[in-house]
Amino acid sequence: MDLGLTEAQEILKTTAASFLQQEYPKETIIALESTPTGVTPELFRKVAELGWLGILIPEEYGGEGRSYTDAAVLFEELGRGPVAGPYFSSGILGALTVLHSGTEAQKRTILPQVASGERVISVAVTEPHYGWRPETVQLRASRQGDTYTLNGVKLFVHDAQAATHLLCAVRTSPPNNGASSGITLLLVDAKAPGVTIRTLPGWMAQVDEVRLHNVRVPAADVLGETEGQGWEALEAAAMQAIPILCAYQVGSCQTVFDISVAYSRTRVQFGQPIGRFQRVQDHIVNIVNNLDAARWTTYEALWKLDAGRPAAASVHLAKAVTSEAYLKVCDSGHEVHAGVGVIREYGLTLHTQRSRTLYHLLGDARYHRRRLADAMGW
Amino acid sequence: MDFEVTYTPEQEAFRTEVRAWLAMNIPEGLEQPVDPGDLTLEQYQKLRELGRRLGSRGWLYPTYPKEYGGGDLNVDFVMILEEELDRYGLHLPPYYDSGGRLGGASIFVWGTEEQKKQFLTPIFRGEWRTWQLLSEPNAGSDLAGVQTRAVRDGDSYIVNGQKIYIGSLHGCEMMWTIVVTDPDKPRHENLGWLMIPYGLPGIEVRPMELLTAGGEGGASPGLKHTVFFDNVRVPAFNLVGGENNGWRVATTHLELEHGGGGMIRRNRVVDQFLEYCITTKRDGESLSKDPDVREDMVEAYIKSEIVRLMGLRTYWLSHAHKPRSYEGPQLSYCRKTYALEIAETILRAVGPYAMTNDPDWGPLHGLLEHYQRSAVVGLHPGGTTDIQKVIMARRIGIGRTTREQAGRLR
Repeated sequence: MDLGLTEAQEILKTTAASFLQQEYPKETIIALESTPTGVTPELFRKVAELGWLGILIPEEYGGEGRSYTDAAVLFEELGRGPVAGPYFSSGILGALTVLHSGTEAQKRTILPQVASGERVISVAVTEPHYGWRPETVQLRASRQGDTYTLNGVKLFVHDAQAATHLLCAVRTSPPNNGASSGITLLLVDAKAPGVTIRTLPGWMAQVDEVRLHNVRVPAADVLGETEGQGWEALEAAAMQAIPILCAYQVGSCQTVFDISVAYSRTRVQFGQPIGRFQRVQDHIVNIVNNLDAARWTTYEALWKLDAGRPAAASVHLAKAVTSEAYLKVCDSGHEVHAGVGVIREYGLTLHTQRSRTLYHLLGDARYHRRRLADAMGW
Repeated sequence: MDFEVTYTPEQEAFRTEVRAWLAMNIPEGLEQPVDPGDLTLEQYQKLRELGRRLGSRGWLYPTYPKEYGGGDLNVDFVMILEEELDRYGLHLPPYYDSGGRLGGASIFVWGTEEQKKQFLTPIFRGEWRTWQLLSEPNAGSDLAGVQTRAVRDGDSYIVNGQKIYIGSLHGCEMMWTIVVTDPDKPRHENLGWLMIPYGLPGIEVRPMELLTAGGEGGASPGLKHTVFFDNVRVPAFNLVGGENNGWRVATTHLELEHGGGGMIRRNRVVDQFLEYCITTKRDGESLSKDPDVREDMVEAYIKSEIVRLMGLRTYWLSHAHKPRSYEGPQLSYCRKTYALEIAETILRAVGPYAMTNDPDWGPLHGLLEHYQRSAVVGLHPGGTTDIQKVIMARRIGIGRTTREQAGRLR
């Protein structure tokens, strides 16, 4: 038993922290928060040069081939920002989906480009009939000869504006043996005629509507040998990607904890630091309890993935706990900070926005609680 | 990270040894009652016998040095012992013994060499079971405000006062307590930490009637008492940690009582509740297929997992000698508050069945009924949940730049 980080992980953590300190000061993060892509080409290139977009991609496909826990250590640091941009969408979820679904030739072509940042993938699963079960994938792709034609809307797609390619889950045949059959993964050029990407306005960030109007996709861009087998690959990728997303959320919770403790020491009211008031202490205790619940459920799931153990129940548990904890941590952060917390330049709202925006990604707490019960065999 | 012990061949050999030894040495008829208040004298004596047998091998308090009756074992070996005992539904120590778990730790840190030899050896060998005497009618959360007096008289202290919520079923051999040794000194500098033999003249022990007798995180005591001291003469040798140093001695066992040692146990009640929902049929369908019950099961399971992981994290910090801060009281806070919430979740899921231990109608031989009571009682032993939050705040340094240190465990 050893719940500490390895030396290599400590180095990665320190490297990431100093990179972020240098390249991602709070002003930059705030400036990028509500931009369509959440990133500048220059920053994206720098991150790619560090190899972070290929952290999980096996070395034979041009990546770093590191462990899930290693990737989580990195994403926890990114979450501390919280840093926006398609790092998770492309480097983790996109890469893993290609790894699970692609043919050998596709992996050899696509993955090195993902690792280098040349190609940016956004995974487009959900639709107006929102959900993360296979039956919610209804967008039809009809095949004529060697070409598929896509018509419909993908909604609440993360990082589509930043993507060169949209990895779309589409229905190529109605559900036959259960709802997961008949779903195909297509890699769609984001610049293809008929593709319209629009950033959704409001409090969410880097979440898009993708309209597909008579979009023609060559059959060669179906991921895998045959159509109709896409859901299993997507599911397998999601189950590995989720704890890394959780680690990002944990990192953000950690920052909210840190700034709340700091504020409790410096903000003086009634002649003393507000942290002397037990009502204020309660909020911070609430933050650290939620933070640690999220942290340890997440890292246990990662350990199981890395150790090759059955991890499904732990992954569902981690996401159910972490998504919920993230909301609560930010809520309590606002209780501590009061007015200052909602001044945009202070930075707390960056976290609060993310806690809401990421709440549903790859399934919300309620969804994962149901999946947990199923995974436990109840 | 590694959330499990990776066993070396040496450790696997130890497991084989432990398993064989336990098979030979666990007395017959050790089945323990659902309600610890029903533990018979005969069952208790068997547990004590097991304690002495474990103690003779240094396995009762295995992390302590052999010279005081411990086993000099490191955490990975202790986990094997715990796991193997767990197969019998037992843990270390197998009966309520706050002397070894808490007081022993204090004596180890603060006692003189002579005191360690005289006090630790019988505790660690299982020859003494000891009680802690901390709370008083007017000193609960404000423990440093105790009023029981110890006045020096030659080679003795004369003790007068009253302690409350004390002990367990079937008595003990030794008691330890904090007393006022100098009423004129400031708070925290006026206390002494004293070992008092159970049978001294002037001690009266009266049972209390409680909803149930909650534990402080170790084995359940089954019964609590009020203890009265009327001019009790105690050898001055029994003062551990020196004159007026009792509060510092207490920080060691308080740290443990506040969860600082961590734990590697599952919540057995939750495990059995889940199993009950799966196997119990109402209207021909398993309870677990009812969507509401299913959600209750998830809720109870998630909370028990969070507590298990916090316990494991704290156990690792403590046994790997890593820096500790707020983690112990956090574990204590979450364990207690979640236990109460879990009890309510069980009440919802199971219905009024959860409130009876009737042989015909009470589920799991009354286990769920007892949990309804013990979750309430369990909120307070070892410090209220509010006190745990206060300690967390000091350790985190909320509103202050100097952070309070965790109590010394070694």
